[in-house]
Amino acid sequence: MASEHKSETTQEYVKEERLKTDLLTVNMGPQHPATHGVLRVEIKTDSEVVAEAIPHIGYLHRCKEKHAENIDYRGVIPFCDRMDYLAAMSMEWGYSLTVEKMLGTEVPIRAQYIRTIVGEMQRLASHLMFYGTFAIDLGAFSPFLYAFQDREFILRYFEELSGARLLYNYIWLGGVWNDISDEQLKRLENFLDELEENIKKYHSLVGENAIFIGRTANVGVISKELAYEHGATGPVLRGSGIDWDLRKKRPYGIYDKFDFNVIVGEGLKGTLGDCWDRYYVRMMEMHESIKILRQCLAGIEEGPIMGKVSKVLKVPKGEIYMRTECPRGELGYHLISTGEKTPYRLKVKSSCFTHVAMLPELGPGQLIADFVATIGSIDIVLGEVDR
Amino acid sequence: MHSQWVEFINNKVSGASAVANAPEVGDASITISPAHIKNVCLALRDGEHQFNVLQVITGCDWPEAGEIEVTYILASFIQNTELLLKVRLPRGTDDNLPKIDSVASVWKSANFQERECYDMIGVEFVGHPDFRRVLCPDDWKGHPLRKDYVVEEVYNKMVVNPEHKMNIGEREFGARHEHLDGGATSVDNYTTPEAN
Repeated sequence: MASEHKSETTQEYVKEERLKTDLLTVNMGPQHPATHGVLRVEIKTDSEVVAEAIPHIGYLHRCKEKHAENIDYRGVIPFCDRMDYLAAMSMEWGYSLTVEKMLGTEVPIRAQYIRTIVGEMQRLASHLMFYGTFAIDLGAFSPFLYAFQDREFILRYFEELSGARLLYNYIWLGGVWNDISDEQLKRLENFLDELEENIKKYHSLVGENAIFIGRTANVGVISKELAYEHGATGPVLRGSGIDWDLRKKRPYGIYDKFDFNVIVGEGLKGTLGDCWDRYYVRMMEMHESIKILRQCLAGIEEGPIMGKVSKVLKVPKGEIYMRTECPRGELGYHLISTGEKTPYRLKVKSSCFTHVAMLPELGPGQLIADFVATIGSIDIVLGEVDR
Repeated sequence: MHSQWVEFINNKVSGASAVANAPEVGDASITISPAHIKNVCLALRDGEHQFNVLQVITGCDWPEAGEIEVTYILASFIQNTELLLKVRLPRGTDDNLPKIDSVASVWKSANFQERECYDMIGVEFVGHPDFRRVLCPDDWKGHPLRKDYVVEEVYNKMVVNPEHKMNIGEREFGARHEHLDGGATSVDNYTTPEAN
């Protein structure tokens, strides 16, 4: 009977009674609502605490890299969309830059501006999505609806530009497919004013909430060393207090023209590099994106939207590695060409893939609920992980 | 820059026989001898060039040369540089995959990257802590990104591309048009918005 035992804690009771204990294996996913796609994490739990976390990926593996070897250079662009379906514009942009650099194509200045506009709008859409899903991971539902209101504007805007809501095929080699009208630019300007106010509201709604801080501060801490060791990039790296943004450090496109700040985590609510810092970096980055967009709207020039690219594309023999700053981190394309119509080998360096590799390191010692928060805070998209 | 790195590698690791390749277009790279990969990586990480991040390990199959080229893309987030480090291995056979030392103890990011490289290209990394496939299922046969890879007809008693589910006529129609030069959907007939 319980009253006969002197032990006060479970651990003591287990020791006293010489009970046999064992780790319990729990499968989180593949269709768990908090896993952002089809990710399966095999968790060995010691009561509520994660003892071991093994990610199993590949459920969305379509081997786009193999597909790319069999189609011509222009045909690869729609495949890039389907890798990271929440930031398709950024994926296209990276690929186009890679091939253009090999070809030596000059992209007209108007096309450069349009690319920056859609790229930054895509970053806003992706971060809004993060804001919504992260809150859902932590059990708050209404932020999701708020975020989707604003995201809807961006999706409709892209639909007008490209004809599609998610998978655009809009940025083409040499420029962009469709021109942007003055009326659309005007509409974007109004939207930005609205969005800026909204983001402040959203941040005060969630970021300053005591429960939210309790759930995210000091949770899932990624130290600077760990971030470097694992090759983390993007908001995850910046959340750990490292000032690194490719748009500043290795400017591509026309990013060197713009004035914006790189947001770095400061450990405001807890330890440097915790979930709250990563959330904070993304929320503040949205303000910087708005800043860039306003400068784009002020500086956009009239002119052609397509550079000179030959009809039959043959990329000269050689190889290139090109990195761009996507909403989720650094995206790299490693292209090897043998001078044919199709790429000989196209390797996609996905930031989410490297971030998933951090889970076995972050999981042990956390409560299961905190582990969910950690997965949410690194903001992975499984389409990009598996490619 | 590359000549400086080549000199550095050759000084630090004897026998690495590093050579710089400078193509006409694109990025330059450095090829080293595969036996010294781990020492070279350690030297590059800890030496004065501070390559603190391993971005990618990727492979490329060259069947004519009978070689697999493994590329390690390193970056220094301190000095803002990047380096393509290459090794060339014999292609080997299915039972006897090409072998190279794992660098998972140098950078933790190598863990998943090496698994992917093994999965896709078929290179065995000796000394890897958790060596298995990552994207394909564990019972998968072959390495999809090799140039001579053929899709299996049956996987786990499931027929891949069963005939009654494939619209053969449509597929042939598509194939004919894609590959026929001058066909309606052929590459040569793409139109792009005219440059003004």
